[in-house]
Amino acid sequence: MTGRSLPRRTILRGLGATVALPLLDAMTPVFAPPARKGKAPCRMAFIYAPNGKQMDHWTPRGAGERLLAADLPRISQAIAPYVNDVVMFSGLTHNNGRALGDGPGDHGRAGASYLTGVHPRKTYGKDIQAGISVDQVAAQRIGGLTRFASLELGCEEGIQGGNCDNGYSCAYSNSISWRTPSAPLPPEIRPRAVFERLFGDAAADPALRKYERSILDLVLSDAHRLKANLGATDRRKLDEYMFSVRDIEKRITAAEQRIVEIPAAARSLATAVPGDFTEHASLMFDLMTLAFQTDTTRIITLMLGIEQSNRAYREIGISESHHGLTHHRGEPEKIESCVRINRYHMDQFAGFLAKLKATPDGDGTLLDHSMIVYGCGLSDPNRHEHHNLPVVLAGRGNGAIQPGRHVRYGKETPMANLFVTMLDTMGVPVESLGDSSGKLEQLAGL
Amino acid sequence: MHTGVVPFCLIVLLAVSLRAQDVQPVLNRYCVTCHNASQRAGNLDLRAPGDQRELWEKVLDKLSTGRMPPPGVEKPQPAEAQSVIAWIEKRYPAGAPDPGRVTARRLNRVEYNNTIRDLLGVDLKPADDFPVDDSGYGFDNIGDVLSVSPMLMEKYMAAARRVAQVAVFGESYPARPGALTRLLAKRSAEGGGILSNANYLPYSMRGALYGAYRFPVDGEYEFRVRVANFRGQDEDDLTPEDRERYRKLRASVRGRPLTAAEIQAFNEEVRKHVPPRKVVFSIDDAPVLTAVVEGTTTFDYDRGEFVTRVPVKAGERRLRASYPELAGLDDPRQNVNRDQRRKLFVDYLDIIGPFQPSKEPPASYRRIFVCGHAPGLHRAACARTVVERLARRAWRRPVTEADFSGLISLVNTVMTDGQPLEQAVRAALQAILASPHFLFRIESDAGEGTVAPVSEHELASRLSYFLWASMPDDELLDAALNKPGVLEAEVRRMLKDRRSGALIDNFAAQWLQLRNLDRSRPDPKRYPTVDDELVDAMRRETFLFMEAMLREDRSLLDLLDAPFTFVNGPLAKHYGIPGITGEEFRRVELNGAERGGLLSQGAILTVSSYSTRTSPVMRGKWVLENLLGTPPPAAPPDVPQLDESRIGSAASLRQQMEQHRQNPACAVCHTQMDAIGFSLESYDASGAWRTHDGKFPIDTSGVMPDGTAFSGVGDLKRILRGQSAAFTRNIVEKTMTYALGRGLELTDRPAVERIARKVAEDNHRFSTLVLEIARSAPFRMRRGEGGGRQ
Repeated sequence: MTGRSLPRRTILRGLGATVALPLLDAMTPVFAPPARKGKAPCRMAFIYAPNGKQMDHWTPRGAGERLLAADLPRISQAIAPYVNDVVMFSGLTHNNGRALGDGPGDHGRAGASYLTGVHPRKTYGKDIQAGISVDQVAAQRIGGLTRFASLELGCEEGIQGGNCDNGYSCAYSNSISWRTPSAPLPPEIRPRAVFERLFGDAAADPALRKYERSILDLVLSDAHRLKANLGATDRRKLDEYMFSVRDIEKRITAAEQRIVEIPAAARSLATAVPGDFTEHASLMFDLMTLAFQTDTTRIITLMLGIEQSNRAYREIGISESHHGLTHHRGEPEKIESCVRINRYHMDQFAGFLAKLKATPDGDGTLLDHSMIVYGCGLSDPNRHEHHNLPVVLAGRGNGAIQPGRHVRYGKETPMANLFVTMLDTMGVPVESLGDSSGKLEQLAGL
Repeated sequence: MHTGVVPFCLIVLLAVSLRAQDVQPVLNRYCVTCHNASQRAGNLDLRAPGDQRELWEKVLDKLSTGRMPPPGVEKPQPAEAQSVIAWIEKRYPAGAPDPGRVTARRLNRVEYNNTIRDLLGVDLKPADDFPVDDSGYGFDNIGDVLSVSPMLMEKYMAAARRVAQVAVFGESYPARPGALTRLLAKRSAEGGGILSNANYLPYSMRGALYGAYRFPVDGEYEFRVRVANFRGQDEDDLTPEDRERYRKLRASVRGRPLTAAEIQAFNEEVRKHVPPRKVVFSIDDAPVLTAVVEGTTTFDYDRGEFVTRVPVKAGERRLRASYPELAGLDDPRQNVNRDQRRKLFVDYLDIIGPFQPSKEPPASYRRIFVCGHAPGLHRAACARTVVERLARRAWRRPVTEADFSGLISLVNTVMTDGQPLEQAVRAALQAILASPHFLFRIESDAGEGTVAPVSEHELASRLSYFLWASMPDDELLDAALNKPGVLEAEVRRMLKDRRSGALIDNFAAQWLQLRNLDRSRPDPKRYPTVDDELVDAMRRETFLFMEAMLREDRSLLDLLDAPFTFVNGPLAKHYGIPGITGEEFRRVELNGAERGGLLSQGAILTVSSYSTRTSPVMRGKWVLENLLGTPPPAAPPDVPQLDESRIGSAASLRQQMEQHRQNPACAVCHTQMDAIGFSLESYDASGAWRTHDGKFPIDTSGVMPDGTAFSGVGDLKRILRGQSAAFTRNIVEKTMTYALGRGLELTDRPAVERIARKVAEDNHRFSTLVLEIARSAPFRMRRGEGGGRQ
């Protein structure tokens, strides 16, 4: 029982009303540093900030490889305190996000190709198909080492109904993680739900959970019998179900060994999605930090917004739709609004880096033992460009990465090459991913 | 298969030569402006189409039904169209009838909640915590895109655990009465107010607080309604006139004792300016507390709590505390101070309880333990009866011994552990709810390629999830749906049932894109009289309007121009409809040209606008896509978008659009979209009527590409009525997609055509649409699929 150190008390709880919970501060004492032999594990996270970037305000000025705070324009200035913890890339491309004969739909393709490197099938729904995303490739190989193979989080609810992007199902822009080419993993957007999922509901009556395992066995055998009589398409749906049941079965054992008593802290987190973006993102980053710190998972994706997001960022005084603004016709006011939204997203990311850097982990910090990719599947959103994508890689990847640089790759270098290289660092080498053509050679420096 | 190659090639060559001579020029002239490699409207490129059956059947479908080219665009001569139709029909003769197949689909969030409600009578709505369902073809019940992830499975398990617990043992609640919750509303139009990270209720400029709360048990509950105001706190909150009055009154009474008459005169003077206001607190629209807030001598109002204690039934109840008289304000800003704080408002609502909670088992208990024994007196033999009935209803079909043995051994395990029967049933219920038999709607296949009717039970589920978005009731499950007349009778019975409201809040809300209303709510700065409450009222209007269509079985064409709608005081003020006050919605007959039909309803006009301005392009697109089923292609990314933001200040929108259309690539689609959109320009982005946009007078005239000139929403409605075939056909397709849970295939065309014809013949009645879909082959049959059998 590691959880006893947090007193069973209400943290900042009013009558029904709550104020923002400094979740990280509240939870950190609950966990003793994980007892570990040998090296700290490497973690990976992918943070999606939708609708491209105003690249003039993103790309570091200066021709040198050394990344200098003074060279960072307005958007990337957000991470100036961390220039020595990040690599910025230029030149990476997702060719499979392009039309390639499929006509309009760049947002749908940007979302679906982002972590898969695959050209998604153009469909409103039938035979939906992208590819297995990089996070899920890793999760399938090393996910068994942690209680959760991976986490998929978001700060914006997916679009429902209507037509998402010119003949592309909303599934393509609502999720970036794909467990199989036909099974996107929708993100959880409620911080409270993430919290309960990670740390359990210790208040729940253990008697209620007593027969959980028998129930899982039972429904699994239901699925087996059912599946025997189905055609190929229906069997695929049952396979998703069975995979998920088995995934829970694995976790039950782990959960029995590790009950953290934190009901009061959990209760003081509102059940709804916070209305304020800063607060929402900050809670998600707290939870990600906690999940890494406790080695509950090593793989996380977070969508700050869905691709083609129409969110209006009233928090920073912008009442027009983000996507609408990106088609700015060169108007300075609209470009300015886009720059501010890009910067606002990046400010949240910088907050995450601060948390990771401040969290001790083994012989260093969490940031030392992480690879955090921040970026988007579009570069210039006005022209829907899929080349020279905005990409930052933060962390040292347990020494595999030499940060503090701006690395420029040749035109059309597949973005998927970065993922192949990262999978190497995670200890799960693959031959290829999506349209990768090899590895990125310069991550560890020249 | 080498032998087959040669003759096949010959056919293709023959076809190609035919196409080049007769068909391609027609396509080139009328189609390729939008259907080319870069635009790919409808995902079609018709510049040099090859031998693609699917593509040609699509062309045939659109051309033969007159839906393409779209309204207002130059159409081929009948002979030209006929030559293309004849060629396609000859080249691709109709194959054997094929009802298609529906992929096994899991229940979506709405269906899950409804099914739990109808199965057990508990309205926990556990699926509200599930991740959003992906949608395809515009709907979220499409089997192909409804996936299961480990996270969702965890939620299924947690929901099953909680639902089973509550259904058998009732909701847990504090042993002694205590504070259960405090409901708080947002305090401003922007963001969450002074507190953060709480579950806020909508913002009302008229000071109302409304929301829902789930009561754990039948019992008495105390409600504390806190009323507050920000008037008089601050000198700035008073108008100069009131300040002057206040000063004079104060001066007149200062430093001397008052006579009774003077006090009365004083109070009367005050009352004129701060009249007493009624506060009403209601549960499920029934008032349980009415009080009066008096004005004070400082020109503000009393503050404090009104307390009442009333019996409430367990379950979710709608709560509302508000000042009904404020619903009659001409402008809601009359209740808002200059510093944006409201003058009168309900600050919060505390719920305390339960007092004298019922000791009876919950209603769901009796539904489950059908043997009729009192709690604690169950007999072991009942377990089988109880569990079998639960499984049959939850799984919507008879239960086989194989299904059943696992459940019974689970029951036995629990009872062997010395637990009471209730615990055993609870565990079995949890297993029933986590089973794929419950979570999925799976239909058995008759074998690869074999077309066969679905079973009566499967058909019952198809009907109930189509009409109710929920499970079949016992009557439907027992009905011999294959006997003549039974299906029709069941459909009519189901349409009359309240549960058919799902056709509105589930089907129609998705079809009309009303689910996006919250994302497109008008910007509070540009539309300062539009608050959350008004947006909710707009949504309610359209729902009530659709419900009238359904309940009165009206013509579908009435959707375009029915001369009535539903409004309450605030919405009537927003629309400029005189003589309506109060918070209740009521039906109003419309005789002016300004309102009538979906296109003049706030929800539709808002959802097809940007939050800060109208967009004729978006509205035109909304009409083409949702009413006519002919979505225009997307603008190519390199074409600059129209600058709609400077409308009203720099140049008029129309002037800008005229310039924009000089680009021929844009002209053909925009001429049509813009003309439709312009005719709706009399409504602002929140659906209010207007005559000017900024300093420019509104001009609603437009000319379609084919020269049809029209002006204003009235002409638009007439044009759409003239397109009743396309309109009807589109509704049939949307409804059918929803009913089947899959995208329509070309093989569905004969069925769709037949249904559309029947609907038109029967005065476009709503019930005919539903009935004919239920009767159609794609709805009643399925084709088997091979490839996966073990």
